[in-house]
Amino acid sequence: MTRELEPHSIHLKKLTKDFDGLTAVSNLDMSISKGTLYGLIGPNGSGKTTTIKMLVGLLKATSGEATILGEKVPIKKNIAKISYMPQETAVYSELTVHENLEMFAGLYSMDKESFARRENELLSMTDLDERKDSLVSQLSGGMRHRTSLACSLIHDPEIMFLDEPTVGVDPELRVGFWKYFSDLKAKGKTIIITTHYMDEANRCDIVGMMRMGRLIAEGTPKELLKSTNTPDLESAFLAFAKRTGP
Amino acid sequence: MKLQRILAVARKNLRSLRHDKRTVGFLVLMPLLMISVFGYAFGGDPKDLRVYVVNLDQTPANESLAVSIISDLSTRSTLKISKVLDGAGPSDPVDLAQKKVKDADIKAAIIFGANFTRDARFALASIRNSTHALPASFVVYIDGTNPNIVQTIMTDIQKSVQKVLVSPTLGISSPIVAVPQLAYGQDARFIDFFAPGMMGLAAMMVTFMLSIISFVHERTASTLDRLLSTPVTEGEIVAGYAIAFGLVGLIQSIVIITAAVLLFQITIHGSVLLVLLIVFVFGVGTQGLAFLLSSLAKNEFQAIQFFPIILFPSILLSGVFWPIEAVPELIRPVSSFIPLTYAVDAMRSVMIRGWGIGNIWWDLLVLAAFASVMLALSAYGLKKRG
Repeated sequence: MTRELEPHSIHLKKLTKDFDGLTAVSNLDMSISKGTLYGLIGPNGSGKTTTIKMLVGLLKATSGEATILGEKVPIKKNIAKISYMPQETAVYSELTVHENLEMFAGLYSMDKESFARRENELLSMTDLDERKDSLVSQLSGGMRHRTSLACSLIHDPEIMFLDEPTVGVDPELRVGFWKYFSDLKAKGKTIIITTHYMDEANRCDIVGMMRMGRLIAEGTPKELLKSTNTPDLESAFLAFAKRTGP
Repeated sequence: MKLQRILAVARKNLRSLRHDKRTVGFLVLMPLLMISVFGYAFGGDPKDLRVYVVNLDQTPANESLAVSIISDLSTRSTLKISKVLDGAGPSDPVDLAQKKVKDADIKAAIIFGANFTRDARFALASIRNSTHALPASFVVYIDGTNPNIVQTIMTDIQKSVQKVLVSPTLGISSPIVAVPQLAYGQDARFIDFFAPGMMGLAAMMVTFMLSIISFVHERTASTLDRLLSTPVTEGEIVAGYAIAFGLVGLIQSIVIITAAVLLFQITIHGSVLLVLLIVFVFGVGTQGLAFLLSSLAKNEFQAIQFFPIILFPSILLSGVFWPIEAVPELIRPVSSFIPLTYAVDAMRSVMIRGWGIGNIWWDLLVLAAFASVMLALSAYGLKKRG
């Protein structure tokens, strides 16, 4: 399963993270080409979030290394080209949707015009136009999650790390999200999404399956189904899990 | 360091407060309440302390020194003479007055004996003739529960006695007089001493509380993770916080200064701007300390536990309420490690002594060092990743 590496991509080489002797991520090797929609799937505690946190510089790897856009992690030079959406609805609930977006735009040194344009685009994508001036604390869980997604996309990043972006989002809007992700991909953006909705993983170009801190399988959804001779990714995951043992 | 990013963080913090009307109310009303309550409560001497006078002096009223002393005492606002008893009633007036003191109905009973004026005049004549005689005395039967009140009553009585002695009829004055010449604070009252302390205390309480709660929330809500994955640096986050909460401390000080001037007519002899600069630097330092301690708290509940640990030593040992010289010598060195000590000292020097930056540079330097170290450590703490 070797893929040719594009100049703008993510490489992980034996990336490992231990917490007090407990290995959360073990010897992860991974390469993600530019313009890929990459789905990282696996049960809770499989190391998905820890992997992403190491890549965005929030956790220090115990061993191994990773590069993003050719720069060694934790990146500095290219940090404005990536974005991270945490699993929790990490937005300021005491600010309005607009103020949240404006704050993140400020952190990316965006000028007023490009912010205004980008804000309108994202508000319409997340269906939050009407709630622009509402305090986040007054929004429903789903709306908060959409605000969080809009915040992570405000600066039009090249690489997006989205940790469970569709949790709490109603099915109709979830379809909209995935369409938006496909559009972004078509524009050459690289998106790394963690999800536990296996049907969603079907929409990814490449799926990486994680279990107990290790990457147990990686490939296009079709390849994964074919190699396990299973009808869906959930069954495929179970088959790979069985092969790799406890 | 990029200003736009620092300001984005600062604006976020200030906007969060703006939407929370109750917190805004708290920020303005709390210092107002502090200065008003403390100002009125501590501002004056005790007044209207109820006393009885028992006057058994047999000298006719127009010549009686007891009567003169009583009439002078009645002009003083500290004491309120509820009743003047003489020997005319059916019961013993001394017993009655003493019982009133014992029952805590009155604070004291001033008792002039039958021969008071006669003895006093005899003593005066002896002084003039250079012969020896015992002084005339009268008894002040007093409730000693509160030493301050005892002191106040006795001082007032001494003043009245002095006044009667120097009156034209007697013309006796002390051969030795201590003349106070105040270098500063000629018209200073307790509130003038107190207002600078209150400003420091209010700035400390609020910046500390707001910063630690906000920052712990930032950690628990994962917004910090999100911030740290953007181009904003740890130093810029810390600076953004410092600006926001330093400003809050500043606004509070303006509320306190305005209230102190309008309600208590305090006089500010030095530069108000210099006072505000001191508060700002101190507020930034306190914010840094809160930021640093926030990393030790897992949630808001744990964060608030730091509050008394920081607050009590500062209140008791920094000279806000009483001079540092009144702190027992054993623990006095601790005062030197409390930043509020320097803030209050500097503000008092500016407000009461009218000193400029040239005189308070040391205090300001210590506060600036405190702020710098706290901010640097906070930024370093944020940089350390798990």
